[in-house]
Amino acid sequence: MDAMHSPALADYGLLGDTRTAALVSADGGIDWLCAPTFDGDPVFGALLGGPDAGTFRAGPARASKQIVRRYRPHTATLETVWATDGGTLTLTEAMVAEVSGRLLPTTLLIRRLEADGAPAEAAVELNPRFGERHLRPRVRQDRHVVCEWGALAMSLGVSGGVRVLPGTTTTITVEPGRPVVMVLALAYTEPLVWVDPETAWDLVEADEARWREWASGISEDVPFREAVLRSLLTLKLLTYSPSGAPVAAPTTSLPEDPGGIRNWDYRYAWPRDASIGIAAFLGLGKDGEAVNFLNWLLHASRLQRPRLPALLTLTGGHVPRERTLEGWPGYAGSAPVRVGNGAAHQHQLDGYGWVLDAAWNLVRQGRRLNSETWRAMRSFTDLVARRWPEPDAGIWEIRADAAHHVHSKIMGWLALDRALRVARSHRISTRRRRRWESAREAIAADIRTQGFDAAKNTYTRSYGSGDLDSALLILPVTGFEAPDSDRLRGTVDAVGSELSAGYPFLYRYPPGQDGLPGNEGAFLPCSFWLAQALALTGRAAEATEMFEALLAHASPLGLFSEEIEPASGALLGNYPQALTHAALVQAALALREAAKEKLPGSPAKSFLPRGHSKAS
Amino acid sequence: MDWQGWALFGLLATTALTAVMIAFQMAGWTRLDLPLVLGSLVTPDPDKARIAGFFIHLAAGQVFALGYAAVFALLGRATWWIGALLGLLHVAVALTVILPLLPGIHPRMASTRAGPASRAALEPPGLLGLNYGIQTPAVAVAAHLVYGSLLGLLLTAG
Repeated sequence: MDAMHSPALADYGLLGDTRTAALVSADGGIDWLCAPTFDGDPVFGALLGGPDAGTFRAGPARASKQIVRRYRPHTATLETVWATDGGTLTLTEAMVAEVSGRLLPTTLLIRRLEADGAPAEAAVELNPRFGERHLRPRVRQDRHVVCEWGALAMSLGVSGGVRVLPGTTTTITVEPGRPVVMVLALAYTEPLVWVDPETAWDLVEADEARWREWASGISEDVPFREAVLRSLLTLKLLTYSPSGAPVAAPTTSLPEDPGGIRNWDYRYAWPRDASIGIAAFLGLGKDGEAVNFLNWLLHASRLQRPRLPALLTLTGGHVPRERTLEGWPGYAGSAPVRVGNGAAHQHQLDGYGWVLDAAWNLVRQGRRLNSETWRAMRSFTDLVARRWPEPDAGIWEIRADAAHHVHSKIMGWLALDRALRVARSHRISTRRRRRWESAREAIAADIRTQGFDAAKNTYTRSYGSGDLDSALLILPVTGFEAPDSDRLRGTVDAVGSELSAGYPFLYRYPPGQDGLPGNEGAFLPCSFWLAQALALTGRAAEATEMFEALLAHASPLGLFSEEIEPASGALLGNYPQALTHAALVQAALALREAAKEKLPGSPAKSFLPRGHSKAS
Repeated sequence: MDWQGWALFGLLATTALTAVMIAFQMAGWTRLDLPLVLGSLVTPDPDKARIAGFFIHLAAGQVFALGYAAVFALLGRATWWIGALLGLLHVAVALTVILPLLPGIHPRMASTRAGPASRAALEPPGLLGLNYGIQTPAVAVAAHLVYGSLLGLLLTAG
C-alpha cells in the first residue's frame, strides 16, 4: 500500500476480541493490528507505516470485483465476497472473543477462504513486522509457522497442509467445498497455543452464537435497531475485557485533516467516553456493561483521586508521554504518527460531570453505589465544588491557554447536581451537602451571567466570547434548562445553524479556532447530539430525518470515525470511534423517548436543507 | 539427612526459583510459564491451571530438593557452590530431558503424533525450551543457580 494513496477509511472493517482489534481493508489486507493489547505496538501497521510496517492479506490472487461485504447478522464476523472466473471467492473472518476456562490463545484470528461455483485462485501474504522500527521476526517452522520477537510470538497454521512463509505471497487454489482456514495466534510472555486449522471454524461459530445471544438482549423497541446494535457491538469490541476499559478508538494518528498534523493517539480510555457509554448501555438494558465501565473507572482513578485524569491507559496507568514514530509516513501522508497523548495532563472540568451523571444513571436504575464508589464520587464532587471557578482545557482538549468554557461549567454544575441527587439515598454530611448546593447555585448564576449572549439568545463557547460550541447541544440531557426553555432552544438553533458544515453535519467549534494549522472535518458526535437535542425538545420529525441522514454516511459496514469531510463524505480521524457510536445510540434513545412521550413541538427554525420535505 | 531443612528450605528455594522465572517472563526474556505448563496437565482452564501449576511446581521442587539434600548428606558437606553445581546439573536435565519429553505425557501440549481431532494445544517447549524464546535456557540456568545456591546455603549435610 502506498502511504500517499491509502484506501478510504470506510473501506476498512473492524475485527476484535476485546483485547485488541484489527482493521481489514476491502482487498482482505489486515493493515492494522496491535499486540498484545489495543495500545501495544503494531504487528501489522501498513495503515500508517506503509508496506514496511506489515500486513496480512488474504483474498483473490488477481484484482477482482467485490460483490458483498457485510458483518454476519448480529455478530462480529466479517464476510467479503469477490467475483472470480466462473464463481466467487468468500473471505470470512473473526477474532474469537472472551473465551474463559478454555486453553486458547489470548488473541486468535481465524480467516476462511471459500470458493463457490469454480476453483478460485487466492493469494495469502503474511508479512508481520513489530513496533516502531518494523522489526522482522525470528521465524521457525513446525506444524505452524512461528514468528518471534522476544516476549511476543505469532503463529500461523493453515488447513490442508498449505505453507505460508512470512515475507512472501503464497498462491492457493481454493476448490469449491474445500475451504482453506488460516489460524493466527498471538502470545505475549507465555507459550503459544496452537489451534488446529482443520477444526478451528467451530470456535468462530461458537463466537457468533455468543454475539447473537448478547444482541438478542437488546430491546426491540429502539428505533433504527440494526444501526444501534452495530454501534453497541462496536462499543463492546472496543472494550478491553481484562479491565473493562473502553478504548476511544483502536488506532492512532488517523488524520482529522489528511496531509495535516491533527493526528492523535486514541488507543486509551477517556472517563468521559466511559460515562457516555454507560448511558448508552443502560438505556438498552445492558446493565452489566455499564457496571463494568464504572468499576474500571473506580479502579483507574484510584491513584490520582480526587483528580480525574482526562485519559488513562487500559489498566488505569499514566498515559505515555506523547512522541512521534520516526520514519512513519502516516495515513495518506499525514505525519507525524504519534503514540502517547499529551491531553492526559489537562484539567478538564467536564469529565467530572459525565462521571457523576453515569453514577446517577445507575442509581436511577435502582442500583445502590457501594461505599467505595460513593466515596470516590464524593471526592470528585468536592473537587468540582472547589475548582469550578478555574479555567480548563475543555472537552475539545485544545492545547492553547485554558479558558472558562461554558460547556465545562455546565458539566461542573451537572456534577454537583447529580451528586446531590445521589445523596438523597446515600450518606452525606449536612455541611457537605450545603457546600455542594451553594457551589451549584453559584455556577448556575455564573453561567447565566457570563456565558449567555442575550442578543443572540444563546449560550456561548466561553465567557466573553461570541463563538458557539457544539458541545452545548448536550444541554437538554442535563436539566440545566427546562426542555421548553427559550434559552435552550435558542442555543440549539444557534449552534445548528452557525456551526453547520452542511446538512446534516456540524463543526464542533468555528473552524480554525484551535491554534493548529490546517482544517478539520465536521464532528460526528456533535451531529448526533443535535439529533438528540431536537428529539428532546419536541422536534422528533426533524431529529429522525437528521438521524437517517447521518446513518447514510456510515461506512458500508455501519462504522463511523470521529469526523467526516462534509463535501466528500470521507471519514476522518481515528476509526472506528467509540464516542460517535455512543452518541448514535444516545440519539436513538432520545428518538424512542420522544416517540413515547410525544414531546411538544416547537416553532423553531428547521435544520432540514432547503427544499427538503419534513417527515410527517 | 537434614529433614527439617529439606521441609522448609525446599519450599523456599522453589519459591525463589519460581519468582526468578516469573520476573524474567514479565520482563519479556522468556515465554516459559511453568505454572501454566504444569497446571494444564490437570485442567484446560488457563487461570485455574496457573494456580494448580504453582502447587505442582512446589511439590516438584520439594522432590528435587530431596535429591540435593541426599547429595549433601553423601558428600558430608553443603555449600552454596556445590548447590550451584547441582543446580546446573538439574537445569541440564530439565532442559534436555524433561521439557522435550513433556509432549509425550502432557494431554494439552501439541505433539507430532496428534491427529485431526486435536483442538487447541500448547506449543511444545522444544530442546532447551528454545521455542519459548531464545533466552529461555539462560533464564532457566539463572533460576536453577538461585535454587541450588540457596539449598546449598541453607541445608546442612547432617
